[in-house]
Amino acid sequence: MTAAPAAPASPADVRRSRGRARKRALNGWVFLLMAVVAVVMLYPFYFLLDNAFRTQTQFDQQSGHSLAGWTQLFRDLPVGSELLNSMIVCAASIAIILLVSTTAGFAFAKLRYRGSGLVFLLVVAALMVPLQSIIIPEYVNLAKYSLINSYVGAILVYVALGTPFATFLMATYYRGISDELIEAAVMDGLGYERTFLQIALPLSLPAIATVTVLQFIQIWDDLLVGLLFLQPGQRTITVGLAALSAGRTTSIPALMAGSFISAVPAIVVYLIFQRHLVKGLTLGMGK
Amino acid sequence: MLDGITKQYPDGTTAVRSLDLDVGDGELLVLVGPSGCGKTTALRMVAGLEEVTGGTIYIDGRPVNDVEPRDRDIAMVFQSYALYPHLTVYDNIAFSLKYRKIAKDEIRRRVGDAARILELEPYLQRKPRQLSGGQRQRVAMGRAIVRQPRAFLMDEPLSNLDAKLRVQMRAEIARLQRSLGVTTIYVTHDQTEAMTLGSRVAVIQHGVLQQVAAPQVLYKRPANLFVAGFIGSPAMNLLAGRLERGEGGPVAAFGRHRLCVPSPVLRDHPALEQYLGREIVLGIRPESLHDASLMHDPDPRSVIELPVELREELGSEVQVHCGTGASPVSLVATAQPAAEAAAAAGAAGAEPGNVSRPVTLVARMDPRTALTEGQAAKVHVDLESLHFFDPGTGQSIRG
Repeated sequence: MTAAPAAPASPADVRRSRGRARKRALNGWVFLLMAVVAVVMLYPFYFLLDNAFRTQTQFDQQSGHSLAGWTQLFRDLPVGSELLNSMIVCAASIAIILLVSTTAGFAFAKLRYRGSGLVFLLVVAALMVPLQSIIIPEYVNLAKYSLINSYVGAILVYVALGTPFATFLMATYYRGISDELIEAAVMDGLGYERTFLQIALPLSLPAIATVTVLQFIQIWDDLLVGLLFLQPGQRTITVGLAALSAGRTTSIPALMAGSFISAVPAIVVYLIFQRHLVKGLTLGMGK
Repeated sequence: MLDGITKQYPDGTTAVRSLDLDVGDGELLVLVGPSGCGKTTALRMVAGLEEVTGGTIYIDGRPVNDVEPRDRDIAMVFQSYALYPHLTVYDNIAFSLKYRKIAKDEIRRRVGDAARILELEPYLQRKPRQLSGGQRQRVAMGRAIVRQPRAFLMDEPLSNLDAKLRVQMRAEIARLQRSLGVTTIYVTHDQTEAMTLGSRVAVIQHGVLQQVAAPQVLYKRPANLFVAGFIGSPAMNLLAGRLERGEGGPVAAFGRHRLCVPSPVLRDHPALEQYLGREIVLGIRPESLHDASLMHDPDPRSVIELPVELREELGSEVQVHCGTGASPVSLVATAQPAAEAAAAAGAAGAEPGNVSRPVTLVARMDPRTALTEGQAAKVHVDLESLHFFDPGTGQSIRG
């Protein structure tokens, strides 16, 4: 007994299956494109790590691996103390930036007072000023107060550079918090100071994470301020690596190893704050 | 007590004009009006969240214009509930008590009592995002209750709920307010909420108080065209007409229809006599119109023939829309100060009360009515329920 022939597909079914096929093909192309981008982004890290485990000769020949680069790095550079210097400068700068930007951002966003619009505009205008245009006056000013060749001077410069953007980001985030939430806290008996500490600050963790990560990467990777405002004993890792490569003979594997060590803290900070960072970077997009 | 309070913004906009209101102890007073009428601004001034430009607010006889919100001993329920998203339900409710240096045992007791009253006990350790809209609304109420304030302020707390939940929560709020006996000012744009909740209702339009009275008084004796058109659903039918002398007494004429004004109505509205031969606005509530074919021997003087334009089945009643040929009435000029009314009319390109298209009468009829679209219907008008308004001022004509 033969089976009855299958009923022909309706035009709607045909359209649906063609649509699904088109979607699969599109997804395939997107995946391919993202794979290419991933390879392009990750290859430098692979190159860095691969060549950190070579001698200079092995690097030139691009074959073989050894720990010589690492040995040379730790011999020629006080890596530990320079990493510590970088951490001190980063941590102190970010702490002050967060202190100023969160409080100022809340004030701009939630407190009504005459002139707040103008002051906010001036803060945002400061974003437009590049470091290179003010570095000499900064140096002269800080030298007047004996703040060069010290952590304090460098930290002050980083704070001055980082606070405008951080304040803008925090103010934008706080504007997204419902006014009624703040008013409810005021009605519940809190002044604006405690409302900021108990309500606004805990809710702004995504924005704080964003500021922390972005400022950390910027300060950690900075060369100019560290070079000008810190004495040799307070050198950051970035300045140290620059000094390593400025020598008569540059050992590429040692430089690669140093660059890898320098990159690790930024990666760690990013991974720690990753979850909040995504929220913070997409703030204001949709409800 | 609100004594002539005014709110004017720096750009010259006046949100509230010279508002006088007295709220009795334990009373639930509802402020109702369309969006942007100033009711929320008035509430926020009472809360201390808006500065008062003019007038004085008194709480228990004490002027509080310069008193901080936290020191006014009032609790507010916000439209969006304003629950702290990072705190549990327990911590949300207990939040204000912690900062008033109340003992932990007392906090636990108060929160427990509020949770029991509001049926929130199973949810105390949840965060607001894990709650439904109705549950969040109850948490907001709980936060207000535990403070044992002198007054509650509620700013449209039901507007974010679906229709069914709104009805349920409305009843809960009414029950709660009665059992607690706390003076409450409740703001809403929903006139059904206003009528069912308030012991008195204050109708506000363009920052001006139109009328404050018990719900039934507002419904039966609206002070002006705006209140008449705002209170009641469907809205009162408002028709431009004339009061003429007829054989048996005054006759209200609109379109090509004439209705005799009975003696009891004349006695209740003695000022009508001054309007003989003049234009008036006639108000007829939808439930005052009946299908004459369902009545036994209706008075022919109160029956008019109207073409049926639309029939809407609502189950318990049928709403029938009938053409009248009468002119519509503008509500704009009645509630605004004269200068603003003229400006609004000028912007609209018409004078207040100008004809745009003939008015349709909406009638709430017995579900047995067989009237259909296109039919000429004999409609009985309950003449003793007629309302009359001055077309120039919009005020009710009474005496």
